[in-house]
Amino acid sequence: MTQTTVAPDRTEERDTDEVVDPDKPWLVIVWNDPINLMSYVTWVFQKLFGYSLQKATKLMLEVHNEGRSVVSSGPREKAELDCFRLHAHGLWATITRSD
Amino acid sequence: MQKVPEGLRVQLDANEADLLRGLTNEMRLVLEADIPDADPVQQRLFPRAHDDDEDEAAYQELVGSELKDVKLEALRTVERRLGSDGPLDDTLPEGEIHEWLRLINDIRLAIGTRLQVDEAKMDKQYDPDDPEAPALAVLHWLAWVQTSILEEMT
Repeated sequence: MTQTTVAPDRTEERDTDEVVDPDKPWLVIVWNDPINLMSYVTWVFQKLFGYSLQKATKLMLEVHNEGRSVVSSGPREKAELDCFRLHAHGLWATITRSD
Repeated sequence: MQKVPEGLRVQLDANEADLLRGLTNEMRLVLEADIPDADPVQQRLFPRAHDDDEDEAAYQELVGSELKDVKLEALRTVERRLGSDGPLDDTLPEGEIHEWLRLINDIRLAIGTRLQVDEAKMDKQYDPDDPEAPALAVLHWLAWVQTSILEEMT
């Protein structure tokens, strides 16, 4: 595959005095929308996260039926990168800190 | 669409290829125009990542124009393959198929968001008297192209 989803530069320092628990994972959520095709969303989950067809389909159906699904999680930078790659594929994704 | 050892064979007749050329031109305007962030199409193509304004500002600073750049890259790839006129009968290597899927999806998002489609509108039967019928027909044609590619690739 050509590199179609180039990661943004992650080397800048974050100027924040916020105290964040480094172990606290950030969640990447994909939201339902009426335009994206179910087959395309399933394909994106497989392609971006290496999920099996079964897992990708389960997540896609969660998005479709429940309106949202957590599709990946991890440290903030990983979550942001995953969110970026989902945006690059036209999926409606957001990040939130897990409580 | 047909899977071949070198990738995916794509055949579009002259009308279909012209339709796609017109749509890529429109998509270029959408991506390159200085459209206000409040525009719904802009919000759908470039969504927020964070709810929190500070987190979002930090994220946007990191990402910069990268999201627009990857979308324009897909657009350029498809434009190059389509050429300036005539039908298309060509084989796309695998990496390029990925770009086609992303671009077609972005075009569908732009049209669908502009039409304010919901699931009921997407399922509606074709009605020639509906002023939105032509745009909806394009939306469905693009869905058919996207599905045809995905069926061959998976």
